[in-house]
Amino acid sequence: MSETEPTNPQPEQPEQPPRRLTRSTTDSLIGGVAGGIGRHLNVDPLAIRIAFVILTFAGGLGIVAYLLCLLFVPTDDPSAPPLKWGLARTLGAGLLAVAALAILIPDWAWGPAVPLLAFAGAVVYLLIRMVRDDRGSHVGRVAAQIAIGIVLFALAVGGFVAAAAGSALGGGIVVAGLVIACGVGLVGGAFRGGARWLALPALLLALPLGAVAATDLDVRGTWGERTFRPSTVAELERGYEMGLGSMRVDVRGVDLPAGRTDLPLDIGMGEMRVIVPDDVCVTTNADVGVGAVDVGDGEQGGIDFDLDEDDRMVAPGVEHLHLIADVGVGYLQVGDEFHEFRGPGSWRDDFDSLESGTSRVACLGAA
Amino acid sequence: MTPRPDYDPASLISGLIVIALGSLLLLDQADVLELHPKYILPAVLAAVGGILLACGLVGPRTRR
Repeated sequence: MSETEPTNPQPEQPEQPPRRLTRSTTDSLIGGVAGGIGRHLNVDPLAIRIAFVILTFAGGLGIVAYLLCLLFVPTDDPSAPPLKWGLARTLGAGLLAVAALAILIPDWAWGPAVPLLAFAGAVVYLLIRMVRDDRGSHVGRVAAQIAIGIVLFALAVGGFVAAAAGSALGGGIVVAGLVIACGVGLVGGAFRGGARWLALPALLLALPLGAVAATDLDVRGTWGERTFRPSTVAELERGYEMGLGSMRVDVRGVDLPAGRTDLPLDIGMGEMRVIVPDDVCVTTNADVGVGAVDVGDGEQGGIDFDLDEDDRMVAPGVEHLHLIADVGVGYLQVGDEFHEFRGPGSWRDDFDSLESGTSRVACLGAA
Repeated sequence: MTPRPDYDPASLISGLIVIALGSLLLLDQADVLELHPKYILPAVLAAVGGILLACGLVGPRTRR
């Protein structure tokens, strides 16, 4: 009887791993990126290299793309250490992302956006490290606490500024509603273990709203630097209003009638200069939330300052201009000596000055 | 039986203070009340002081 030799079973072929993009170690000029992409796409790596060179002339996009591949695509060398996201790699990726943004968005704001972005990136990195690092080294924990502190501080400052801006722009009712909502949350939370943390956002909203309410600040309206030169009494009596900025009202071109003419003026935040004729009696009634007034008797002001110049002493029949000014936060100056400077030798060619003060003699009328 | 959640009197007092302050500011913003600045700023300061005092007197929260 012959024994038949058992047939050796064929060894099972190992399952082919999914073909993934790797950098080539055999076909490499710089980092093996083009070689790896060529192999992955089954095209000549030379074509990939040419594409990178062409893209480099498109605002440097080729270089950025190559560096990003170098950073993110692993090598095909099995002995190479696995990719690890250390600080250097994160920083490099962040800088490359900023560079790519700058190339792709030509109107990229290079001003405050870059440091802000870098700051936000650093905070996000620290937070990710905190979440991923379960064991948490001492340095990591301190870094995470700093990051959380920065995030909370930024949120607090942002909330405060947003509440102030929202209130000054006429959204005070909404901000007050949010304060009440925080209060309701606190009361409700008191029976569910406490929600003391809600007191902080409530106060961050209430403090700027209180300040805006106290100063009657309202910056709705025109913003910027404006000069008004009325030419008729009707224009004058309609008054002028600005939200935020610098307002100059030059009344010298108006032929004022005998008797009192009112000029209403309103500025939310900023400075208001009124240039009046030197032969006209001027009285001022100003309501200033926070700031100062100078009508020639020196600077006076403070919080919720009112100036009421008595116009009963004005002789009847004289040309009398009565200013009714409302300044939220800022400065009011009234004067009849205006020096316009348009000569060379100054660092600014529009440096004008107004000397405070108006004619008191004009109020007495003709003797 | 599930244990009753902790009651925190500091949160209750703070909430009532915040509601009172918010209502005051809401009425001012809605032009129902014309609050003088002399009263608004002390009211805000009193609210901050009241909340701090409530939290300080009650002490830190302890969970059973």
